[in-house]
Amino acid sequence: MKLLLLFISIILISAALSAQTLIKGTVKTAKGEAIHGANISVKNSYDGASSDSTGHFHFTTSETGKQIIQFSSLGFGSDSVVVQINGKSIELQLVLKEKFNELDAVVITAGTFEASDSKKGVVLSSLDVATTAGAEADVFAALQTLPGTQTSFAENGLFVRGGSAAETKTYFDGMLVKNPFNTQLPDLASRGRFSPFMFKGTTFSAGGYSAQYGQALSSALILESKDLPEKTTTGISLMTVGGGLDHTQRYKNSALSIGGNYINLKPAFAIFKQHTNWDKEPEDYGGTIQYKLKTSATGMFKVYSELSSGKVGLFTDDLNNLPKENYFSNNNRNTYVNSTYQDYLSDKWKIQGGASFSNNRDSGKIEVDQYTRTDQLMQARLTLTNYFGNLSTLRFGVETSNTKRKESFNTLSRDYTDETSATFAESDIFFTERLVARVGIRSEYSSYMDEFNIAPRTSLGYKTGKFSQVSMAYGRFYQNPEDEYLVQTPALDFERADHYILNFQRINSGQVFRVEGYYKDYKNLTKSVGNLLNNSGNGYADGVDVFWRDKKTFKGIDYWISYSYLDTKRNFRDYPISSVPPFAAKHTLNLVYKQYVPQLKSQIGATYTYATGRTYFNPNNLIYLGDKTKEYQNFSVNVSYLTHLFKQFTVIYASVNNIPGFKNIYGYHYSDNGQARKAIEPPARRNFFLGMFITIGDNTFVQ
Amino acid sequence: MKILKTLFLLFLITASGLIYAQTDKYTAVMQKGMTLLDSAKNTEDLLAVSNHFERIAGVETKQWLPTYYEAYANLRSGFLTNDNDKKDVFFDKALVQIDKSEAISANNSEIYALKGYIQFMKMSVDPQNRAMEMIGIATTSLEKAKALDPSNPRPYFILGQAAFYTPEAFGGGKEKAKPILETAITNFEKFKSADPFAPKWGKERCQMLLDQCK
Repeated sequence: MKLLLLFISIILISAALSAQTLIKGTVKTAKGEAIHGANISVKNSYDGASSDSTGHFHFTTSETGKQIIQFSSLGFGSDSVVVQINGKSIELQLVLKEKFNELDAVVITAGTFEASDSKKGVVLSSLDVATTAGAEADVFAALQTLPGTQTSFAENGLFVRGGSAAETKTYFDGMLVKNPFNTQLPDLASRGRFSPFMFKGTTFSAGGYSAQYGQALSSALILESKDLPEKTTTGISLMTVGGGLDHTQRYKNSALSIGGNYINLKPAFAIFKQHTNWDKEPEDYGGTIQYKLKTSATGMFKVYSELSSGKVGLFTDDLNNLPKENYFSNNNRNTYVNSTYQDYLSDKWKIQGGASFSNNRDSGKIEVDQYTRTDQLMQARLTLTNYFGNLSTLRFGVETSNTKRKESFNTLSRDYTDETSATFAESDIFFTERLVARVGIRSEYSSYMDEFNIAPRTSLGYKTGKFSQVSMAYGRFYQNPEDEYLVQTPALDFERADHYILNFQRINSGQVFRVEGYYKDYKNLTKSVGNLLNNSGNGYADGVDVFWRDKKTFKGIDYWISYSYLDTKRNFRDYPISSVPPFAAKHTLNLVYKQYVPQLKSQIGATYTYATGRTYFNPNNLIYLGDKTKEYQNFSVNVSYLTHLFKQFTVIYASVNNIPGFKNIYGYHYSDNGQARKAIEPPARRNFFLGMFITIGDNTFVQ
Repeated sequence: MKILKTLFLLFLITASGLIYAQTDKYTAVMQKGMTLLDSAKNTEDLLAVSNHFERIAGVETKQWLPTYYEAYANLRSGFLTNDNDKKDVFFDKALVQIDKSEAISANNSEIYALKGYIQFMKMSVDPQNRAMEMIGIATTSLEKAKALDPSNPRPYFILGQAAFYTPEAFGGGKEKAKPILETAITNFEKFKSADPFAPKWGKERCQMLLDQCK
């Protein structure tokens, strides 16, 4: 009996104290390269070791019997093997597969410029949009420093790769924005309605974009609003052109922001001589309400609503009866509500839904005649995303948009209503970490035109090196003819463009180089022949865009250079023959410079833009659009001085647009007989802006 | 009967011995980790430290300290790296680990202090683009750490250090940092924890910064 006891106790004690077994070996990649710093351990025990620079490791363990050896390393996956430990030393040849790493994986970049704060490898950040000189914190103006876009000061909108302004569409959290700009005035572009500070991500696509987005022939601007703000803050802005006040109240899982602003350009215009003969200088006021609610760990519900109103009146030369002037006035009222919801249904499924409403009413006088124009859009959208494989996704959804346009001129009036419904499906398939394909299809039906389309889209991305990749894209894009045509007749069809894009990109830390070539084929553009409208218009655009950004070479200095070459002709609207449209300069160059100067506590910025001349219509020239303006040049600077006022974080911002006073001409207006003409110029040679922005409550360092 | 009794007793002794050996082993293995951490000089050493604590964390799923030190080792690796992309990898890993600690031990001042520190460092990789968003997030963590335990010196030390390195234009500077660092030092003198492995780091560096403020 004693023997038995002894035996049992020996077993038990030896189990407790136990013999040490040596486990050694190597950890390598599938290619046989040593992995340094891998963690090797016996599961459910402390025993283990890290591999050295040659991939070797060794440790002893007191465990016995059947055990699991785990091993893992940063940048690689984790794996395990089962071993039988019986006191004899064990040698293991472990192999770790390289993990499919989202950060290192290829991304589809053909056509797309992404500005984001959260993602890696993006070209611009949201702050860049706000601090680009000459842009005055206007998202659209900042984007005009990117390749593929045209400089435009006389017409609202983004002109992308030979496309007209109507071919670029803006999306706010996935929902189409019908009126992203303030009302267009005669020969004068207006600012965008949204503040760049509202967004955490801005994706600008100059072509070949995802099947999620429709109704844009040339370009999609995708704005993604910020999530919950961290703190309760109050902002005050005082500017030479007006002021604003906003307050954000942060609750536990939600936040409410209310803001109001008032803009009046009269005092500024009194100081800076205007070419424009104003009757009523632009005056705007508006308010916004935003509510954001975190519905779960991953769910977010957002509502953004805006109400704004503006007034303006001016005289333009009546070239047919000089020195008579024509009167134009505009009262604008804009309502916009956008609400979206998104959450993960499981770790494989994500749901996104949204509904938006906008109503934009313009009314006023053209001479003695009264006009009104009302645009209304109601949209609903639902998207489901399935994550599969390593990084691959399948996304599909439906969308419906109800568009109304009503216009009147004195006692005459006309209107139309259209319901365009769309469905789309798209998959990003990663074959390897280096090769991705995106295949998508979108289909739309317009109730008003009673027409139906199917648009295939596909892109391919291949990573050629650690920092470089090539991508290509093909896509077909449709959009409804512009409202001004649709309101005349439903007997029209979708306009169409086919994009072919080839892109090379190299992003190293702090440096970005991109070059992109494209060809665009336009079909079914709306054409007016006499009083008739049809879809016989067509055109093409090809070109090369180059972008270089460098934050690395010179410490504290950040600059980018963008160059666009554009060759385009089109026959649309009332063009008699295929011609180069006035909104297409052959060469455009932008130099953007930013630097923080600690001695001055200031960030300074400068932007230089050069663009070759644009075509304009001269009735004395037999060749349609056969004349060209002289080249365009602009040099603008801005300074942001960071300080504290009343212990609150304050930014004082000053900018001067077109310092050298380059005389820029966008085109000419002619009298009907061709005898008189007038240059289309900016309302003032130079612009000056001064503003002060105080944030109360964000006193991070103000103790 | 006697045999059974003896067997039972023997079993109890061995079992308690095993349990004792196990807890004792935790102390030993944590002690080893602390020694490794104290002597770590480069990212290679710190990787070994991080791996060591990861192995402990794999067993001790109820202890918040192993993942805490894993996060701390990665934070320090981030300090020692010059490549911004690599810094991000270390800080991101540290954030994942400190979140694990948080899941084990809720409302822990030390965890929020370290979390705020990592968030600050994450911001400092690209202040131009991250400052606006990340400073708020980091400050929220550190304020929470202060509220949970006002005697903890580390949140003051980290806030003081952040103020120290923030340009005056952004509301930082030595003058701003000095009183915060002084509070930290006072707290460092008094702060005691029952747990032998409770965080102790920060005092030397805090003193060094404070000396530069004078």
